[in-house]
Amino acid sequence: MTLSLFDQFLSPVVCWIPLVAIAIILPWILFPSPTTRWLNNRSLTSQNWFLSQATSQIFLPINPPGHKWALLLSSLLIFLTTMNTAGLLPYTFTPTSQLSINMGLAGALWMGVVILGMRTQPTHSLGHLLPEGAPALLTPILVIIETISLFIRPIALGVRLTANLTAGHLLIQLTSTATLAMLTIMPVTAIFTGILLFLLALLEAAVALIQAYVFVLLLSLYLQENV
Amino acid sequence: MLSRLVFLSANSLRSSGLIGAGLVQASRSLQTSSQRLAPVPPLPDHGGKVRHGLIPEELFEFLYPKTGVTGPYMLGTGLIVYLLSKELYVINHETIYAICIGTIIVYGVKKYGATVAAFIDSINEEKVAKAQAAKDSHISFLTEAIENEKKEQWRVEGRGMLFDAKRNNVAMLLETNYRERQHMVTNEVKRRLDYQIALQHLNRRLQQEHMINWVEKNVISSITPQQEKESIAKCIADLKVLAKTTQAKAAA
Repeated sequence: MTLSLFDQFLSPVVCWIPLVAIAIILPWILFPSPTTRWLNNRSLTSQNWFLSQATSQIFLPINPPGHKWALLLSSLLIFLTTMNTAGLLPYTFTPTSQLSINMGLAGALWMGVVILGMRTQPTHSLGHLLPEGAPALLTPILVIIETISLFIRPIALGVRLTANLTAGHLLIQLTSTATLAMLTIMPVTAIFTGILLFLLALLEAAVALIQAYVFVLLLSLYLQENV
Repeated sequence: MLSRLVFLSANSLRSSGLIGAGLVQASRSLQTSSQRLAPVPPLPDHGGKVRHGLIPEELFEFLYPKTGVTGPYMLGTGLIVYLLSKELYVINHETIYAICIGTIIVYGVKKYGATVAAFIDSINEEKVAKAQAAKDSHISFLTEAIENEKKEQWRVEGRGMLFDAKRNNVAMLLETNYRERQHMVTNEVKRRLDYQIALQHLNRRLQQEHMINWVEKNVISSITPQQEKESIAKCIADLKVLAKTTQAKAAA
């Protein structure tokens, strides 16, 4: 069967056994649970340090009632970072390039923060629909625009992550296919495409980390508004 | 982590009837991790040795007796050539990408590996240093306290001498005070006695003078004028005799 460019994004199946669950759960073993030791090995120390730094950074602007979300958002950060960076390796499947997974995460979490805001402090949450310092004439239009922007948030969150990763992977595949194809015919052009591929891989590594961080950061911002 | 699994499974197996207990005992020889949770066994200082960052040294040592130093390398090359020639591994676009990302990862690890490892080690060392500092400060505080205590004990010994000196001082003050008062008393008594003596002397002198005056008065009043003339004449006669004798002595 001929491979199309999008076959790398198909949910992996081996003999009709879906492997996507394993693909999502297996990276969990990279993060061991806290040990009974006071001083740990390097990998565990670095993970703990990174996680404590990231969590304190993200939760700095959020007032104390929102700190209940620390576990959820930090585990989300770890999940997304691991999925994205593991997808950089060749022959791997990136679960976060699937719209289903990203929309599931984005929609559920966004709805969670909005409902939290509406239940605990409805006036304050609804007040966000009218930004401060706006002239009184524009109020109806502004409220409509802000409502639309509120409801577009989950779509934006999910699609942003999906699009970034899918586009990155697709570009990598295209460039590497081009390099391979031209390697025998036009080696010099193949070298240039190879350099492009090299730079693209670097970009993809950066994007993988940044997109995960942006996802979690935006959720923390929505939380900050509503808690 | 897996030893916990052994404990849990052993517990559940043990409670699950006759065969369960036998199974646990039979597999005990296969259980290699320690059966006790404390004391925690120490972590090795360095991780397992690897060659080329991926292949454990144990493979090289395993193959060395039979195939020497180049054995594992021949094995690797042979495997790769076999996979490529039989097209078990097909070279496709992912291969090019794998070369790219492999270069990036190897370069990154080689360049920043030592720095990152040093940083992570410094995190652990800071932890140890903090605990060590707390321990050292506590030890120094206690040593100081011991020295202060010894000093206080030495001071207590000296306090006896201090008390003796103070007691001597006080006794001397009392003695001085007593002597002063005694001296004062003596002086006062002497003054009074002197007064009495002076009074007596005065009396005696007055009496004497009075008596002398009375005697003189009586004597003078008793001298008649005739007696006075006779005495004066006698005196002149005596004087003349004396003058004569003296002249005679002078001439002789």
